[in-house]
Amino acid sequence: MSYNRSTEAVSIFYTADRDHGHLRHVVNHLAHLLPAQGPIGVFIHHNTLHAFQHLPFEQAVVEASAIYGTQPYMTEEAFRAQIANGRIRTEDITAILDLEPNVPILTGPSPLDRRGLRQAMILPGMRPTAEDTIEWHLSEGGLIESAADSRLFSACSRPELESERDPQIPQRPHDGMLAHFGIDLDGMVNPLLTRLAGAFLDQGVAYWPMPERERGFLHAAYAALRQPYCVLPKGLHLLPVILRWHDAAQLNAETIVGEALRALGAVSHDWENFLRGELLALPGWAGMIWRLQEEPELAPHQPLPSVLMEFLAVRMTLVLAAVSGVDGHPRIWQSPIARKSSKAQRLLRDATFFQAAKSAGIPAEVLENLPRRQMTLFHREVFEFGDLERRRILQLAYERRHERQILLPLCQHRQRGTGPPAAKRPSAQAFFCIDEREESIRRQWEELDPTIETFGAAGFFGVAMDYCGVDDAHGVALCPVVVKPQHKVHERPAEGHAHTLARRRLLRKRLSRWQRGAGISTRTLFRGWLSTVVLGVFSLIPLAARVLSPRHYARLIHQLNQWLLPEPRTELAFHRAPEQHPEGLLPGFTITEKVERVAGVLAAAGLVKDMSRLVLILGHGSTSLNNPHESAHDCGACGGRRGGPNARLFAAMANHPQVRAGLLEKGVYIPQDTWFVGGYHDTCNDDADLLDLHLVPSTHTQELARVRASLDLARQWSAHERARLFEAASGTITPAAALRHMQERAEHLAEPRPEYGHCTNAVTIVGRRAATKGLFFDRRAFLVSYDPTIDPDDSNLAKVLGAVIPVCGGISLEYYFSFVDNEGYGCGTKLPHNITGLHGVMNGYESDLRTGLPWQMVEIHEPVRNLFIVESTPQRVLTTIHASPLLTEFLENRWIRLAVLDPAGAGIQMYRGSGVFEPVSGTDETLPTAASSVEWYQGHMEHLPVARIESLAGVR
Amino acid sequence: MDTLFILEPLLTAIVVAPGVLFLAIATLWLLGWTPPERFIARTAAALYSAMAAAVVVLCVLMLRAGQDSLYVMHGAWFRVGEYSFPLLIFVDRLSLPLILLTVALVGITGSFSVRYLHRDVGFLRFFLLMHLFAFGALLVFTAGSYDLLLGGWELVGFTSVFLIGFFTGRREPVRNAIRVFATYRIADLGLMTAVFVLHHSAGSALYPTLFQGVWPAQTSALNTGAATLAGLLLLLGASGKSAQVPFSGWLPRAMEGPTPSSAIFYGAISVHIGAYLLLRSEPVLRQAPFAAAAVVLVGCATALLGTLAHRTSNDVKTSLAYAAMTQLGVIFMEIGFGFTWLALLHIVGHACVRTMQFLRAPSLLHDHHGLHAAAGGHLEPTGLHWEKLVPAPARAWLYRAGLERGFLDSLTDRFLIEPGLNLAWILLYFERPARPAESDPAPATRPATETR
Repeated sequence: MSYNRSTEAVSIFYTADRDHGHLRHVVNHLAHLLPAQGPIGVFIHHNTLHAFQHLPFEQAVVEASAIYGTQPYMTEEAFRAQIANGRIRTEDITAILDLEPNVPILTGPSPLDRRGLRQAMILPGMRPTAEDTIEWHLSEGGLIESAADSRLFSACSRPELESERDPQIPQRPHDGMLAHFGIDLDGMVNPLLTRLAGAFLDQGVAYWPMPERERGFLHAAYAALRQPYCVLPKGLHLLPVILRWHDAAQLNAETIVGEALRALGAVSHDWENFLRGELLALPGWAGMIWRLQEEPELAPHQPLPSVLMEFLAVRMTLVLAAVSGVDGHPRIWQSPIARKSSKAQRLLRDATFFQAAKSAGIPAEVLENLPRRQMTLFHREVFEFGDLERRRILQLAYERRHERQILLPLCQHRQRGTGPPAAKRPSAQAFFCIDEREESIRRQWEELDPTIETFGAAGFFGVAMDYCGVDDAHGVALCPVVVKPQHKVHERPAEGHAHTLARRRLLRKRLSRWQRGAGISTRTLFRGWLSTVVLGVFSLIPLAARVLSPRHYARLIHQLNQWLLPEPRTELAFHRAPEQHPEGLLPGFTITEKVERVAGVLAAAGLVKDMSRLVLILGHGSTSLNNPHESAHDCGACGGRRGGPNARLFAAMANHPQVRAGLLEKGVYIPQDTWFVGGYHDTCNDDADLLDLHLVPSTHTQELARVRASLDLARQWSAHERARLFEAASGTITPAAALRHMQERAEHLAEPRPEYGHCTNAVTIVGRRAATKGLFFDRRAFLVSYDPTIDPDDSNLAKVLGAVIPVCGGISLEYYFSFVDNEGYGCGTKLPHNITGLHGVMNGYESDLRTGLPWQMVEIHEPVRNLFIVESTPQRVLTTIHASPLLTEFLENRWIRLAVLDPAGAGIQMYRGSGVFEPVSGTDETLPTAASSVEWYQGHMEHLPVARIESLAGVR
Repeated sequence: MDTLFILEPLLTAIVVAPGVLFLAIATLWLLGWTPPERFIARTAAALYSAMAAAVVVLCVLMLRAGQDSLYVMHGAWFRVGEYSFPLLIFVDRLSLPLILLTVALVGITGSFSVRYLHRDVGFLRFFLLMHLFAFGALLVFTAGSYDLLLGGWELVGFTSVFLIGFFTGRREPVRNAIRVFATYRIADLGLMTAVFVLHHSAGSALYPTLFQGVWPAQTSALNTGAATLAGLLLLLGASGKSAQVPFSGWLPRAMEGPTPSSAIFYGAISVHIGAYLLLRSEPVLRQAPFAAAAVVLVGCATALLGTLAHRTSNDVKTSLAYAAMTQLGVIFMEIGFGFTWLALLHIVGHACVRTMQFLRAPSLLHDHHGLHAAAGGHLEPTGLHWEKLVPAPARAWLYRAGLERGFLDSLTDRFLIEPGLNLAWILLYFERPARPAESDPAPATRPATETR
C-alpha cells in the first residue's frame, strides 16, 4: 500500500484558514441545492426548486435540470399525447410562437421564417431519436421513406461540420474512475454512508441507538469506523490508514474535507463543482442533515447535533479511501475523459436537420442550391429550437389552453349572472379551508340546501398557535410554516372531568406500553421466540380481518376504544389578561388579540353583516394508513397538521361577548342570536365532527340538528363525487356506499391512494363566492373568500395574498415537479418504499432518502403553474403584490400565473409580465350547463371542464 | 374406502390449482389478451377461497377417517432403466398445517395486493408470479420425493428472484435480484447433491422408501456416513433458502420488491421452506448426530447475527428481515435438537406474525405517532440492559458488527466474488485470446435531457 504521498501531509497543512472560510462558503452555498424536505411526519409542500426561485421559471427549470439530471417539462411524447387528445390545440402553439420575435430564414421559391420553422418542428413535429437508435431509424425504422427523402437527407448532411468534442474533465472522482476503470465509487461509498447516516438520524426504529451520536455525526461515524477486527467493505481497505492519520492530526470536519480535497487534487476554484457532485450523490441524506442543522427542532423525537460539513467530511474520507484503494494514487481519477465524435452523433445531427427540413416542407433542390451562408443560418435556427425549447413552447401552449378553459367560462358565468340574492337570512354559514379538496363539499352542500352559504379562509383561521391537546404528547405549531406562533393554547378537562382524563391517560399509557412491548418482543431473540411460538398463530385473526374487511375492523377497534377509554369533556385554555407578559410563548390571547384575529378572518371574507344564526368553522386534516406521506394530505395552512383545534378556538373566540363588542368597533357586526360552532372535516374518510356541542344554546339545537343532517348528506355526495376517480368504487355506487368506500380507503392497510390529495390543483380564486357559486370546478380550485368592496386600503388583500400565493403556489409547484420527473424530483412509486428512522422513506433496504411526492399521489396531475384569479382591479393587485419581495418573485419570475377579475363587470385580464395586463376574450371555450353536479360528473373518470350547475346558479 | 375416493382428487386439485390458473392466464396473455385488473383480482379471490375451503375439507375428512397421511400416485414422469421419476404427492401431519398456512397467507396477501398494486404496470406480472409461487410452495410441501420437491423448490426460488427485481426501471432491484439468484444457485447445489447422495446410497429419493413410520417418529434406512453427508448437504440447501449464516446477506436485499411480496416470501412462506426441508429430513438428521449438530450451530450463529443486526437496523423492512432471521435461526436450532413439533408450531406462528408486520410496515409512522402520543411523549428507551451488561468497548464493536450485518457481505464481496471474478478474467484468456480486457462503464446517471 503506497499511501506515503498523503501521510506526508500530516505535518504540512495546506488548507489555511482562508481556505476554511472559502470551504464553509462553498458548502453553505451548495446546501441550498439540497432538497428542503424535513422529517416526513410533518410534510410541508414547497417549491421543489426553491433554490432557483430568483430566476425566471423557464430558465430555472433548465438550469436545475442540468444540475440534477432531471426533466424540466413533460417529455415531448407526453405533450404529443396532449395534442392528440385535444388538450393542446394548434391555435395555442401558434399563439405562443407569435409572442416571440420572428426572423426570415429562407427566401425564394420556398420561403421560411422562424415561426414557420418552429411551428413545423412541433406540428407535425419530429420523431424522437437518440444516438443509440439513430442507425435503426434510418435503415429500418422508416425515417427515410422515399427516394425524395434520401435526396433530402443527403442535402442535409453537412460533413464539413465534423468536429472533435473536447475531452471532458471529470467533475469528481466517481466520474473519472467510472470512465477510466469501470469502477463505481459511489457503489462503494454510498452503502456504508447510507447506513451510517441512517443510524445517526434514526428517531426510534433501531433497538440500539448509534453510540455517541449526541456528539455529532463525524464523531459517531468515526467511533464506529475505528473499531478493530472488522472486515471492511470492498474497496475501502485503506480506510483505517486514513482514520489513523486523521486521529493523529486531530482534524475537525473542515480540515478533513480540505485535506481530502487537497489529496484528491481539487483546486480551490473547482471546489464548488467537485463538492456539488459529492453532495448530490446522496441528496436526500445530505438534505436531511442540512435541514436538521438549520432547524434542529424539526427532529420528531430525538434532537441531534446534525452538521452538513461533518456529513461531507465522512463522505470525503470514504471517497479518499476508495480512490486510494485502487492503486494507491488519490489523483488517478483526474485525467480527462476522451469523447469520440461518433458516427451516430453525426447521423443524429443530420437526421434532426433532415426532419426539420422535411416537416417545414423544404425540398431537396432548394437546399442543394442554397448558398453556404444561408445554409448555416438555417442549420443554426433548427438547432436553436432543440428539444428543450420545443418543450418550453409546448408547456406554454398547454398552460394557455388551461387558462382559456378556466377564464372564458368564468367570464361567461359572470355575464349570465346569478339569481337574485337570497331574501331570507341563510340557515347557516360555513367556513371551510381554501383547500381545493373542500370545493366539492361546499358546492354539494349548497346544491342540497340552498339556504347554506359557504366561505373559504386559510385553514388556521387566523389563529397561529402552539397547541397541545389532552391526548397529545407536546405542543405543536398550528399555523403556516412561515409564521412563528407567539401564543400557546392547551386543551384541558372541563370542570369535574379531571378525574376522567387522568384515568384515560393512565389507560392509554398502559395500552401503549403493552402494544409497544408486544411489538418489540416479537423481534428480539428470546422474547421473540416465546411470543411467536405461543401467540404467533393468533395474529392470523387480526391479519385476516384487517386485510379482508378493513372498515369493520376499524369500527371494532373504535368501539373497543370507546368502551375502554373514558372520554372527558374538555375546553380550551386560551384567555389571557392584558397585563400578563411572561417569557416565551404567551399563554392564550387577550380580548384585543382575539378581536383582531376574528375580525381578520371575517372581514377579509366579507362576512361583516347579515350573519345567520349558525356559523360553522371547519378545519381539516386527513387520516390514512399505508401512507408515510399522510401528513402531506393534512392542512397546509396548519403547517402540515390538522386544523380542528384552530376552528374550535376561532368559534370559542367569536362566541365571547367581549370579543363581539370589540368586533363591533371594527365594523364586524355579529347578531346576538348568532352562534359559532367549530368542527373538523377529514378529507380522506369524509367524516365531519362538530365540537363543543354542549355549549350550543338550547334555542339553536334544533337548527343545528337540521344543518348537521344536511351536512351529512353533503359529505355523502362529496364522497360520491370523489369516488368517480377510483376504479375500486364502481360507477353506480350510491352516495352512502361512496362514503363507506372512502372510510374503507382510510382504514385499508394496502391502499396506496387513500385520497388524491392536492393532485388536481390548478387554480386559486380569490374573490367573493358570488363569482364562483354555481360553477363546477372539479375540486381543482382553491377558493379564497375575499370581498374587494370592503377593503379600501387593500390591507385584507395583502394579508390574503401573502398567505395564499406562497402556500398554494408552493403546493402547485411541488406537484408540478414531482409529476414531470417523478424519479428525479419526486420519490417514485410508493410500492417499494421503506420507512427509515421515522423521518423518511428509502427504496428497498439501502438507498438515498427519497424526497418529493410519490407517483400514486401525482399520477393524474396536470402540470400547470397555479393560475391565480383575483377579484380586484389590476392596479390594486399589482401594487399589493409588488409591496412584498416574496410575492413579486413568485409573480415576476412566472412561478405562478395571475389573472384579475373585475369586481364590477365581467372582464378578466391576464397578467403578461412587466406590468402589462391583457383582456381575455374569445369563443373557443364555452360554458356548458348541467342540472346538477352529479349529472355532470357521473360516469367520467377524466378531468372535467368547468360547468354551470343550473340548480345552484339560481336560473332554473 | 369411500373417503379416499374424494381425498385423492381433492389433494391433487389443491396442489395444481394455482399452477393451472398461472398457465391459463399466462397463455391468454401470450395469445394477446391483457386481462383487466378486476379479472385477475376475482380469479385470485375465487381460487384461494376455494382452496382454503378444500384444505379445511381435506383436514376434516382425514381426521374423521383417522388417517395420518395420504399418498396420491400420478404415475411416473419418465423411466430410464431401473430409475423412474414417480409423481407422488402426499400430505401428512407435517405438511397439512403448512399447506393451510400457505393457502391462507397467499390468499390474504393476494387480497392485499389487489389494492396495493392497483394501476401498477406490473400488476399482471405480480399475480402470475404469485400463483406460480403458490404452486411451487405447495409442491414443496406435498412432494412425495426429494426429486419432486426440487421442482417446487426451484419455482419458489425463481419467482422470488423475479419479484425482487420487480421494479426493472432502477438498477438496484435488478442488481440485488441477481445477487439473490446467485446465492440461491450456490445453496441449491447442496440440495441437488443431497438428492444424488440419497439415490446413490438408498437407491431412491422417495420418502416412503427412505423413511419408515409416521412423522416425526420416523426412522431411515441410511447408514450414518450417508446420512451425515446427505444431512450436511440438505443443510446447505436449506440455509440458502432460509437465509442462514453464511448466506444471510441476501435477505435485506430482497426488500427491493413490493411490500406484499416481501411479506409472503421473506416473512412467511419462502424463508421457512428451508426449515421444512430439514423437518422433512428429520430421520436423516437423527441418523447423523454430526449433521444435527451442524444444524444447531448454523441456527445459533444465524440467531445471534440476526438479533445483532436487527438491533442496529434503522429502517423498518431491514429490521423485520433480521428479526425474521433471528427466529429462523432459532427454528433451525429446534430442528437440530429434534424438537419437531415445537419447530412446526414456531414456523406457523412466526409466519403469521411476520406477514402481519410486513404488511403494516408502510403504516409504521401512523402507528408510532399514536403510540408516542398515548405514552405521553416519552417512550422507554430500548436496549438499556445491554448497556449495563456489556462493557463500552465491546458495545461499540458489536454495534459496528451489527451495522455491517456481521461483515458477511464484505466477506463475500472480497473473498468470494472478487477472486471469482479475477479467476473468470484469467479463464477468459483461454476462451478468446484476442479480446481486450475492456469493461463497459455504463453511466450511472439518467440520460441527458438535451441533445442539442
